[in-house]
Amino acid sequence: MNEMTIGRLLRSSTIGYVFGCSVPEPEVPLFGMFVKAPAQRGQTETIGLIYNIAIEDDPFVRQMVATPDLPEAYIQDQRLNRQVPIEVSVLAVGYRNGDRFVQALPPQPPITLDRISSCSDAEVCLFTERLDYVRLIINAPDAPADELIAAALLRAAECRPPEERPRFLREAGKELARLLSRDLPRLENLLRRIKPS
Amino acid sequence: MALELNKLTSSVDALGASAARRLADLNERLPAAEAMLKTIRADDAELQKKIATARKYRWAGAIPTDEPVDAVFPAPPHPTRANIIAADGSQIYPDRHGIALYFLINIGSIIFRHGLDEAPGTSSTPQVFYEDDELYYAEESSPINGEMVNAMRDVRELGELARLAEAEAQIVPTVTLLDNGLLMYITLREQNSKFSDEIIKEYLEHLGTLRKSGAAPAGVVDRPRAANVVRLLNLAKMELSEIGQDTLKGVGPFHGVTDAMVFGFLRPGERSAVFVNASPDNDLYYEPGGHTIYFFYLNAGRPGKDALLRIEVPQWIATDKTKLDLVHTAIVEQCRVSDGFPYVLMRAHELAVVTVNERREFEQMVIGSLIRRGLTPGISQKAQGKQWTGTGKKRYPK
Repeated sequence: MNEMTIGRLLRSSTIGYVFGCSVPEPEVPLFGMFVKAPAQRGQTETIGLIYNIAIEDDPFVRQMVATPDLPEAYIQDQRLNRQVPIEVSVLAVGYRNGDRFVQALPPQPPITLDRISSCSDAEVCLFTERLDYVRLIINAPDAPADELIAAALLRAAECRPPEERPRFLREAGKELARLLSRDLPRLENLLRRIKPS
Repeated sequence: MALELNKLTSSVDALGASAARRLADLNERLPAAEAMLKTIRADDAELQKKIATARKYRWAGAIPTDEPVDAVFPAPPHPTRANIIAADGSQIYPDRHGIALYFLINIGSIIFRHGLDEAPGTSSTPQVFYEDDELYYAEESSPINGEMVNAMRDVRELGELARLAEAEAQIVPTVTLLDNGLLMYITLREQNSKFSDEIIKEYLEHLGTLRKSGAAPAGVVDRPRAANVVRLLNLAKMELSEIGQDTLKGVGPFHGVTDAMVFGFLRPGERSAVFVNASPDNDLYYEPGGHTIYFFYLNAGRPGKDALLRIEVPQWIATDKTKLDLVHTAIVEQCRVSDGFPYVLMRAHELAVVTVNERREFEQMVIGSLIRRGLTPGISQKAQGKQWTGTGKKRYPK
């Protein structure tokens, strides 16, 4: 997937951030997508994984929900014109410093209104050459960890040429086996989810 | 806390009891008013004489048209395609205790293209006024006041509708809505006659533009308190010889009853007959250009939840059955989505409103501009005191 701007930052901390965007396109943002945001005045880029996409309501929308046969123009007005941003939560899983990717929490989070972009296929491939970031997901307090691990690994596999995908997913399975050796039901579920077809 | 609520409990109790008593009184008077409505015939020569006599005393009642006064009209079918345009305004009033003397008007508007599956066009247009000739009006050389700002805002709302209607109403049936009556009231007119005349002249020009555009303008009043029709009922009850300045001051046995109560029999979607507003302003300013303001009442609610609106339209809509039907059905359809008040007016308000935070941010912009030019902006000590004390006292625990 090619890089594209998908929103701007609303709030952040070292372990993650929330960005806002307008009506979602069919392909962005997606659960488990790798995204990046500038930090330290452009010296670094934080790499994160989308783990929640929340669409907020307000009393006006709640009132309209009950309207029978709601014409499309009202729906489009609420979706496109009213400024209620969709909130997208991101878990920080690493950062880029020059050409070097680091799979650890970033030294500084992005700041308000920073531009959030999706990572290109090449960036996802480079970042996921190592799988240390999986531990960060397992330890994340708020993210649905297993679902996020599976989605992120499958997305990382998709970014690779078809002939490389089975090997990548087998390596990922081995890493999961190391990390979850004491939780076999959880491991089994995850392995089933990422099993190469 | 400056407002010591414990000292108000008995007054609040009395307030509730008074409201209940007033409602009971009104409910006793209402059947007589409803019965009176049924007896009135617009072609009654005696009634016409009474109306003509009352108008000599600046009587602000309702004049029946050729529609029976107790008639009920169900909502006509809605056209497949129609444009519904709304505009609303908001303002920051001039504040002589503030950091600089200025005022701001923000106009929000929306073009809703019924029948198309596209998002409506929306806009928000702010304008700030700060030059001497904008702040100090003409003959009195005193600063412009809140009421003048309101009048300027009203004119700009109608101007925005006229501008949009010129582009939108040529091909598709178009209704333009204001969140207000169409008859402008400017109080203290005597003190600001030049200002008032100019404002009304501009307002009437916009009405003329709307007329030429082919659009159907309407003013929407929610929870109307008007009693024009009630005054008509009282007038009909009087003998011709009784009519005079003093007897026309009140509404006699119908004291407290409003038109909205009288037309409480309208079911969702139905409108009342159309009436002419007998206001002297209507005759003085609107009638010469053919813009005499008419009105009717409309239940824009749904079964189980009535929502009575007063709708004001100019003469060239009230007497054009097709356009009157368009206004009627468009408002009913708009209210269906937003439960009793037109959707486009709610959105126009949302686009226009200046929130407390936005006002604060704008003031910061003004402060920045003044500082960059070497000025030292400051609010008055009175305003400063209000800021110090207005956030609520914090008492140390005893």
